[in-house]
Amino acid sequence: MNKTHNTQKAKKYGMVIDLDKCTGCGACMVACMAENNVPFKKDETNKLDSITWMHLYKLTNGKAFPETEICYLPRPCMHCEGAHGHPPCVSVCPATATDYDHGTGIVSQIYTRCFGCRYCMGACPYHARYFNWWDPVWPEGMKEYLSPNVSPRMRGVVEKCSFCFHRYQLAMDKAYHEGRKELEEHEYQSSCTQACPAGAITFGDLNNPDHQVHKIARPDNEHGGKPSATNVFRLLERLGTNPKVYYMSSREWVRRLGDNYLPHEKTGEIALGKQKGHH
Amino acid sequence: MDSALLPKGVKRCSFPQFSIGILIVGAVLLWGVYAMLLCWFKGLNQTGMNDSYGFALWIWADLAVIALGGGAFFTGLLKYIIGKDELKNIINFAVVIGFICYSSALLILAIDVGQPLRSWFIFWHVNVHSMLAEVAFCLSIYFSVLAIEFVPLLLENRKLDEVPFFHNLAHNMHEVMAVFAATGAFLSCFHQGSLGGVAGVLFGRPFAFREHLLVWPWTFFLFTWSAAAYGPCFTILLTKITEGITRKKLVKDNVVDLLAKISGWMIASYMVAKLIDTWYWATVTAPSRGLTFMQFYSDGNGLYTLWIIVAELVVGGILPALILTNKTLRANKSMLLLAVILACIGVCINRWVMVLQVMAHPVLPFEEWFAYMPSWQEVATTILPVAYGVILASLAYRYLPVFPQERELNPVNG
Amino acid sequence: MKLDRRNFLTLGGSLVAGGVVGTTLSPLPWKLMDDSAIWTQNWPWTPVPPDGAASFNHSICTLCPGKCGITVKKVESRAIKIEGRKDFPVNQGGICILGLAGLQLLYGPTRIETPLLKTAGGGFKKISWDEAVSLLAKKLEELRSSGKPESVAALTGSDTGVTAALIKRFLFAYGSPNFISEQTFKDTYKIALKKMQALQGEVVFDIENADYVLSLGSGIIEGWDSPVKMIKANSALKTKKAFLCQVEPRLSMTAAKADKWLPVIPGTETDLVWGILHVILNQALYNKEFVAENTTGIERLSQLAQPYTLEKVSAATGIKSSDILSVATQFAKAAKPIAVCGKGQGSTPESMGHIMAVHALNALMGSVNREGGVIALNPASYISWTNPEQDETGKNGFGKERVDGAGKGNYPDTPFLANRFISAINGQGKSPVEALLVSGSNPLYSFTDTAAVKKAFEKIPFIVSFSSFMDETAKVATLILPSHTNLERFEDVSLCLGSGKSVIGLSTPVVEPKFDTRHTGDAVILLAKKLGGSVANAFSWESFEACLTETLGDKWESLKESGFLENPESLIAAGTRIDFSVVAEPKSMAPEGDAASYPLILIPYDSLRLAHMAVGSPPFLLKTVEDTVLKKNDILVEINPQTASKLNLSEKKYAMLKTPKGAVRVKIHLFEGIMPGVIAMARGLGHTAYDDYLSGKGVNFNELIGPMEDPISGLDVSYGIRATLTNA
Ligand SMILES: Nc1nc2c(c(=O)[nH]1)N[C@H]1C(S)=C(S)[C@@H](COP(=O)(O)OP(=O)(O)OC[C@H]3O[C@@H](n4cnc5c(=O)[nH]c(N)nc54)[C@H](O)[C@@H]3O)O[C@H]1N2
Ligand SMILES: Nc1nc2c(c(=O)[nH]1)N[C@H]1C(S)=C(S)[C@@H](COP(=O)(O)OP(=O)(O)OC[C@H]3O[C@@H](n4cnc5c(=O)[nH]c(N)nc54)[C@H](O)[C@@H]3O)O[C@H]1N2
Ligand code: SF4
Ligand code: SF4
Ligand code: SF4
Ligand code: SF4
Ligand code: SF4
Ligand SMILES: [Mo]
Repeated sequence: MNKTHNTQKAKKYGMVIDLDKCTGCGACMVACMAENNVPFKKDETNKLDSITWMHLYKLTNGKAFPETEICYLPRPCMHCEGAHGHPPCVSVCPATATDYDHGTGIVSQIYTRCFGCRYCMGACPYHARYFNWWDPVWPEGMKEYLSPNVSPRMRGVVEKCSFCFHRYQLAMDKAYHEGRKELEEHEYQSSCTQACPAGAITFGDLNNPDHQVHKIARPDNEHGGKPSATNVFRLLERLGTNPKVYYMSSREWVRRLGDNYLPHEKTGEIALGKQKGHH
Repeated sequence: MDSALLPKGVKRCSFPQFSIGILIVGAVLLWGVYAMLLCWFKGLNQTGMNDSYGFALWIWADLAVIALGGGAFFTGLLKYIIGKDELKNIINFAVVIGFICYSSALLILAIDVGQPLRSWFIFWHVNVHSMLAEVAFCLSIYFSVLAIEFVPLLLENRKLDEVPFFHNLAHNMHEVMAVFAATGAFLSCFHQGSLGGVAGVLFGRPFAFREHLLVWPWTFFLFTWSAAAYGPCFTILLTKITEGITRKKLVKDNVVDLLAKISGWMIASYMVAKLIDTWYWATVTAPSRGLTFMQFYSDGNGLYTLWIIVAELVVGGILPALILTNKTLRANKSMLLLAVILACIGVCINRWVMVLQVMAHPVLPFEEWFAYMPSWQEVATTILPVAYGVILASLAYRYLPVFPQERELNPVNG
Repeated sequence: MKLDRRNFLTLGGSLVAGGVVGTTLSPLPWKLMDDSAIWTQNWPWTPVPPDGAASFNHSICTLCPGKCGITVKKVESRAIKIEGRKDFPVNQGGICILGLAGLQLLYGPTRIETPLLKTAGGGFKKISWDEAVSLLAKKLEELRSSGKPESVAALTGSDTGVTAALIKRFLFAYGSPNFISEQTFKDTYKIALKKMQALQGEVVFDIENADYVLSLGSGIIEGWDSPVKMIKANSALKTKKAFLCQVEPRLSMTAAKADKWLPVIPGTETDLVWGILHVILNQALYNKEFVAENTTGIERLSQLAQPYTLEKVSAATGIKSSDILSVATQFAKAAKPIAVCGKGQGSTPESMGHIMAVHALNALMGSVNREGGVIALNPASYISWTNPEQDETGKNGFGKERVDGAGKGNYPDTPFLANRFISAINGQGKSPVEALLVSGSNPLYSFTDTAAVKKAFEKIPFIVSFSSFMDETAKVATLILPSHTNLERFEDVSLCLGSGKSVIGLSTPVVEPKFDTRHTGDAVILLAKKLGGSVANAFSWESFEACLTETLGDKWESLKESGFLENPESLIAAGTRIDFSVVAEPKSMAPEGDAASYPLILIPYDSLRLAHMAVGSPPFLLKTVEDTVLKKNDILVEINPQTASKLNLSEKKYAMLKTPKGAVRVKIHLFEGIMPGVIAMARGLGHTAYDDYLSGKGVNFNELIGPMEDPISGLDVSYGIRATLTNA
């Protein structure tokens, strides 16, 4: 998969989500479902078997009325880089059905190869992976809207957010046709980013200083991509997962919920975990 | 009716009586088979698993039977490699148990995956970084070794033994069995270890993750060690159960005592390593991930609280180790039985927490503990290998000279 | 060799063994293994969407009043994705959850495929359009010839646009004054403008450009007004660090995003506004220049505000005096403060007393008709038809009293009174309405006191639904003339933007009609032609499209081309001076029910993740609903843990919820973000129609609440109701 053509600098696609702007409206969730042929069932109230590549968590500060605060946190796949391209989920997959693409930084999922052992799900601390417990069934007529760019998944395999990789492919195809090898920032945007009415999601190449994501998060690539911008954080950063989804919030309690902290540790001031969880 | 097939010089229950027993267990087996077919044809929605519990009862059962089946490789190692010759009197039974456990494990895996018809992709598209790939390779190769180890015993069936070719084959195989035992022991060490590695490499799961030695996390070594330590207890337990059912003494006390003693010291040394591991994990590894020891034992649903670690380490570890390493206690039949039962429970709890507590503990600070309840289909498919094992062990006992000392210990008049 | 039993077994065994070995060594098992894996990768029941040429088609989403521009991606003839249109002035590329799920409505299983006629057994039978229109024409002809054309009424979701105008025109020519449209808080604000400054215009709240927003329960980011536009405005507030103060009893998303959340006892919001007016007037913090130049009657306002001391307001509202004082002063000190009202999504009217107080607050600060304030706009007035000729019957019928009594007597400024329409039908004797046409509205679900609405509909002998979907109202209709969905039809859209501009938009079909449906405009034209005479003469157009083309005149071509046009006459409408003396005397609008038998107050809450008006939520939306809102088929009611423990209620346990209007079984969800004594329930659940993805899930809030009439407008302004919760 790691088709890094040597004329091109490796990309590192990522996201920054502004939690101050996110309204919890759910548009990103549905933008993703509609883009990626995500199936649905008659009862989706068991959230542990409901496929939502983009999931919205409701965080609270745990305080009683009227000091209560809440904040929504959208969670796509973090497209973890781990150490040197070994995300928690990729190194465990026995059949190489999920892979880290060094050219884009995207963690892929090959549905036709996955045999459904679910080891990757156990490995992912973000619950970003979903199993197809059921055959996907669309009611009469509804198959009409399915997109040919993303294959519907069969029962018994794992799926997850792909950073809308097919959009990257379509954009690259177009660029190739036009004799270009590089994409403009706007040419490859994920469906959720594009839909978000609040403009809370920014998507782009974290390696490209001209891209908004880089400007907002200012990732320190020398130190596992740790954000150097204030109020920007990542989820469970210290586990060494090296996620490419960054969050920002002006509220400390929100930032503090982004990671596990010992009581004496200050928000944001933690050493990154040893990144040798693979072999 | 089947008297021609029975081993010479031993007494067996009547064929109708035997058949009724088998039919009863067979009914349980069929129930399991029905559940298995449901899982295959309707999919894993038949289970109580969910996206947070991708590994559950089956994987625990899998790890548990393999740990318990560890008696086979370890007894083999002791007999063929270390040269503890007395163990020849129990090795056959250990091999039968091992064969049952490993075939069960393979069967469970075949039900557990979402796309059983693609299981072989694990070999075809192998990812060498994956512990599960290592498991799959070692497990299937070791299963073949066990099958080979089983063959000579099979050939010793009275009727088969009458065929000269089979007789000679069995004899020759016995001669080279040391090679297989060695291979088996080596493979077994690896896959027991890689099963431990399955959890230990999960660096996104602080409850499971362990620091590494070379390319393997500590759990790799702990699993091998614990299987070697606890497996023989299971062999002893099953021997005692068989003796109870058949109301016969089948293995001499000195054989059992030797195995129990070795097992005791193995458990004792394993406990030292395990306690060091637990201490290091609790004081160094977990805090480096921002978590305190108690956070792992504060399940709001009440299951994963301190009792479980006490049950695993004290009741299921230190206690049996103390009993089994003490000559007097070990010689006491009830104490011995108590010790092997506690030991089997202890290792099962260890495998349970390394699978289920890993899934239950919320890693994201804003999540709650996850709960899981197996469906009847999962329970039935988990009991299925037990029923299958009972049937296979009964058949083996009835038709094969599994216990070489049986004739001597139970002389048949006339 | 003698073939005895033993040899036979040996031979058989060898053959089998040989066969097994042979097969294993042959390529067959490998081939079978591979084939079986490939088969699992191509299960015929897992669809493979056909590929083809892609195209992108602009249109406007009309699933809610937001009217966002959309771009629909198609592959050949199939629409596969709806996206926000980047250059559309309302949403600039953003889109809401419902708009995104629009294709599930278009291709969904609840579409009505052909005209349907109710059978004696209560089912439906498919009929042709010709039969359907003839049948309806015959019925209307009967009513007309028996001299009671006014017994025909039409109920619509909105009264703007050419389709609504065609229905109105039909009733005019036919002879009925009974055109009724649903009203939202914005319509009530319009009435306030008319009363206070003799202004007839559309109201726009320029949130984006304000620097202090005082929201009286408006779910600014939860679907209020034009949802996407408002979410964008909220992001703009965040970017420039403007202040948002949210007043409501529950920590809604808007409250959660606000800089200040002021929990208020439901029904006392107006007291708070008066408290703020009191502070501003007493301390003379208002914009003196503006007040002097543009208003009259400030003395009367001061007089009315006098009793609203901080202590009194604090006691009534449950808000600390210091908070009221600081909000009032901060509001007054802001450069561009704006006060907005319309609770939740603003889909229900507000009491006139409340709105006039809010408008007075805006007027005192000069936040009227200026950037960052309340702006009155001339809506685009492209429908310039002349009234058609009425025949004698038509004239007589049209001159009769409206069934709902709107527009005269006590309610001269209220155009429609849907609630009074229902109660009039439920009155003594025969229903005054003998035939009802329902378009763009689902009253059997979305009107309060569902049981009463149902009773009224049972009394109406002939109900015609123009719905595209089998909703609650369509289910009880005598005749269904299904309309195209929004993606299959033309629709004109008039938009008023916060920036003080108004825009005409054209929603264009992006796919061919999937079923044998017709545009409601076409159905009305067909019907008129069938009726003949003066009614037919009122409709010279061949079709709806022809009508629209002619109506839009020279704008048609460019609208078809670009989708929207700025309205050149969108200038801010001038009005007379704002007259504070007409501001209504404050009057308590406490929720229905007595506090002794119903100690709690139940309020609804809105979320973009559930549609609760004319369209039902498509499956994708249900997927995003949290399990603390709906679990299996049970709805969860939010309650403060403190209140719950007093009532001995616990998380996820069943409870009986009782209000003066009804009782239902619910589950409990403990939520710290709700005021003690208040309980809240999501709107948008409890459908009894549509498909299995929506039907039978949860409870319809409207079953539990009854209309509460505003004394000035006569409109139903109920929002909360008293309730009890007991263990069940
Ligand atoms: N990890 C991973 N590795 C892969 C693959 C994968 O999927 N994953 N795919 C494999 C496959 S299928 C392929 S085909 C290979 C492709 O691998 P390469 O053949 O290495 O492909 P390119 O990166 O396109 O590099 C071709 C080089 O030719 C140069 N070039 C372009 N035009 C001309 C020309 O007219 N003349 C000359 N002299 N040079 C020119 C380009 O600048 C570039 O440096 O990669 C293979 N390697
Ligand atoms: N933008 C761009 N376009 C290119 C090229 C490029 O470098 N860049 N290179 C060109 C070249 S040289 C080539 S050869 C082609 C390659 O073109 P493709 O073959 O289309 O591309 P890949 O991405 O390598 O693989 C196709 C898909 O197969 C899936 N896949 C992997 N293993 C399996 C499997 O076992 N079963 C099934 N069913 N699917 C599997 C992968 O996840 C991937 O989605 O692309 C050409 N086009
Ligand atoms: S679409 Fe945007 S605002 Fe809405 S929930 Fe997603 S990120 Fe938040
Ligand atoms: S978020 Fe989970 S699935 Fe995604 S890359 Fe990280 S570990 Fe893998
Ligand atoms: S479930 Fe699929 S992707 Fe995940 S580890 Fe197993 S084979 Fe790999
Ligand atoms: S990036 Fe694409 S695949 Fe991932 S959550 Fe967003 S829309 Fe879904
Ligand atoms: S807010 Fe949503 S439903 Fe309303 S018009 Fe816009 S996209 Fe359509
Ligand atoms: Mo290639």
